[in-house]
Amino acid sequence: MSTETIARSLRRARSGVGVAGSGRPPDARPRRLWTPRTITMAALVLPSIILVLLLNAYPVLYAGVQSIRDGDLISAGNIVGLANYESVLTDPVFWQAARFTLVFTLVGVFGSWAMGMSLALLLRRRVPAGGVFKVLLLLPWVVPVVVSATSWNWLVATPQSPLPILAEALGFGRVLFLANPLLAQITVCVFKVWISFPFMMMMMSAALASVDNNVYEAARVDGASGAQLLRTMTLPLTAKSTYISWILMTIFCVNDFPTVFLLTGGGPVNATQTLVVQAYRTVFLDFETGPGVAIAFLMTIVLVVISVVLYRRVRKVDIE
Amino acid sequence: MSQRASKATLSRRGFLTAAGGAAAVSALTACGGAGGGGNGGSGGGGDSLKFWNMPWGGTEFNPSDKEITEAYEPADGLPPAVYQEIQWANFTQTFSSAVASNTGPAVSSGGGTQAFLFESQGKIAYADNLLESWKENGLYDDFLPGLIDTMKVEGGYAAIPYNLDMRVMWYNTTLLEQAGAELPTDWPSYLAAAEKLKAIDVYAFGVGAGSGSFTGSHIMTSFMINNGGGLFNADHEPDCVTDRNIEAMEFVLEMVAKGYVDPGSVTYTSDNVQTQWKDRRFGMGWDGAGLASNVGGDVAAELAVNSPLTGPNGDQGALHFPNNIMMYTNTPSQEGSEAFLTYYYQNMASLWTEHTGIGLPPLKSIADTPEFQSDANAVKIIDEWQPISKTWAAPGSEALFLGVTDVDGTPAMSTFTQTVLSGAATAEEALTTLQQALEG
Repeated sequence: MSTETIARSLRRARSGVGVAGSGRPPDARPRRLWTPRTITMAALVLPSIILVLLLNAYPVLYAGVQSIRDGDLISAGNIVGLANYESVLTDPVFWQAARFTLVFTLVGVFGSWAMGMSLALLLRRRVPAGGVFKVLLLLPWVVPVVVSATSWNWLVATPQSPLPILAEALGFGRVLFLANPLLAQITVCVFKVWISFPFMMMMMSAALASVDNNVYEAARVDGASGAQLLRTMTLPLTAKSTYISWILMTIFCVNDFPTVFLLTGGGPVNATQTLVVQAYRTVFLDFETGPGVAIAFLMTIVLVVISVVLYRRVRKVDIE
Repeated sequence: MSQRASKATLSRRGFLTAAGGAAAVSALTACGGAGGGGNGGSGGGGDSLKFWNMPWGGTEFNPSDKEITEAYEPADGLPPAVYQEIQWANFTQTFSSAVASNTGPAVSSGGGTQAFLFESQGKIAYADNLLESWKENGLYDDFLPGLIDTMKVEGGYAAIPYNLDMRVMWYNTTLLEQAGAELPTDWPSYLAAAEKLKAIDVYAFGVGAGSGSFTGSHIMTSFMINNGGGLFNADHEPDCVTDRNIEAMEFVLEMVAKGYVDPGSVTYTSDNVQTQWKDRRFGMGWDGAGLASNVGGDVAAELAVNSPLTGPNGDQGALHFPNNIMMYTNTPSQEGSEAFLTYYYQNMASLWTEHTGIGLPPLKSIADTPEFQSDANAVKIIDEWQPISKTWAAPGSEALFLGVTDVDGTPAMSTFTQTVLSGAATAEEALTTLQQALEG
């Protein structure tokens, strides 16, 4: 049975049609929505619904109102319509931050995934003290980002820091890892990959653990090479976990404030400023609540779209 | 935010602010204007008068300060004072939410421009009557020259000067001697000294403009003021693109182009700057009054404050931040707030004489004490730098006003400073971009 046939059958099954039949099933009757049972159940879940609305919907709605006002941290201000969105979307600094956020996210997601997957595959083999390695490799994720950012600052910030000294010794001259805009962007992205790969490693390790080794044995017997195994077996079989980890890491990257703020503050000259840092600076340093929340809202919309697209991929994998 | 620059506590605060910021931005959807303020709570929290003070010095500052506060014995009918220490981490949000909900203090210190922000919201009780009463007990005349005037806004005195945060020129005596450089007195001699320091691989324009370090933008403004310029005109409007400002920034760009500025300065935090001083990579530079104690070690003894430079047009000047104490309209008793502050100012000298790490004193009587006079650098700053220093409001006016919050620690100023320190634009281009940002 092909994937397409299965999917069609599932759709039919969901609509109450037998796999081989057509039209409505013979016992289909219009159901009454409000029966004593459904009313009781609705009454029971109502408190939870109200709680969820209070916890999630209210702040979002309130923020939505803030984004169309010209207030500050003290006063709500007047309603200005979509002027905040217009000013944000016509600001070159916003688009510069959006571009870097995109780069930061792409590198963060795929860099950490590639590294995490590689290490997960490596640690799948029996190696001496494998558990110790796993714990050590988890450290970048476990250590608070404030601490790791401080360490990285110590590693790269001044010409007397270890990495610039090493670069100079290797003949690269005086390398300014944080002061040069391009190098600062690279440094921030590498730092993000470094603190994120353990998460990916754990996700992919769990996914790989669920794959039956016999499948690989059979493929090897058929003469499959390592690269073929990876392409045709490992990646498809771990696709669901991969997509979920991409969704999560995309959200982590787009919302990542401390990595950028602690290492460069968004500089030099906004080169490493991400949207979340711009939103923070707009609200808490410029005291412009409306545009700052507007930036946060735009980020949220983009994140929701990306998450939905990736989640559909997950569902597709489920069906296949 | 003036006080953010150079104290030992600041780097810690920078981290705390940033860490708090992570949570704050995650919760951006719930942030924003309080929108109403509500009623109810009072600045006294009932029958007592809340005094909120910041960690202005080392670990011994707040306990000493609390001791002074709790020793206050109010006259009959007036409320006693209750002390609360407020951390710098997210202090803007702390004060904003408390004041908006009428649960804030009756008296507080805070950010250097905080009083002007709350004054514009009608939350500040003017200090005119209090200052008038101080003319009789001698306190008014005890303030350093020009300080009280920096607090005057259209409606009255928004606050009272409390401690001074200055931006001054430091140099390393050993390195200057090693380079055979003379102490600069004006801009050309500064360039000459910088050339000699460069010959021994030492930078002459030590400053930081990285994450959480606003000293860089302070120094850019200081150079403008040193040349008779500044950021605001007499109408309190941004007026950045002036001949004097362009000339000042061209001088800084010349320092950058000639390699007298550490290229890393663009992203140096306060810690990075102190490391450069400690490693003797900075021979001259610009920082707050506490640089030597913050750097510490053997190098501290080599650091000294230079006299103010004279600009090419004969001007002298620098940027300073009169941090202040303000009274709020939300108080159990305005008379009580004033009585407490009178007591506090009459008894706060020990915060300086016991070296708690607070900034420079606002009162001449404290600056004259033997304990304070024992610090030659601090004395030099009070004697030579304080009289010529101006606020963000320069050159248009002496007094601060709400508009200075647009330049005090803001992204526009950080970007401008980084642009100049990296030599990424001409002086006019950088100033024009700044002007547009401030107008927008």
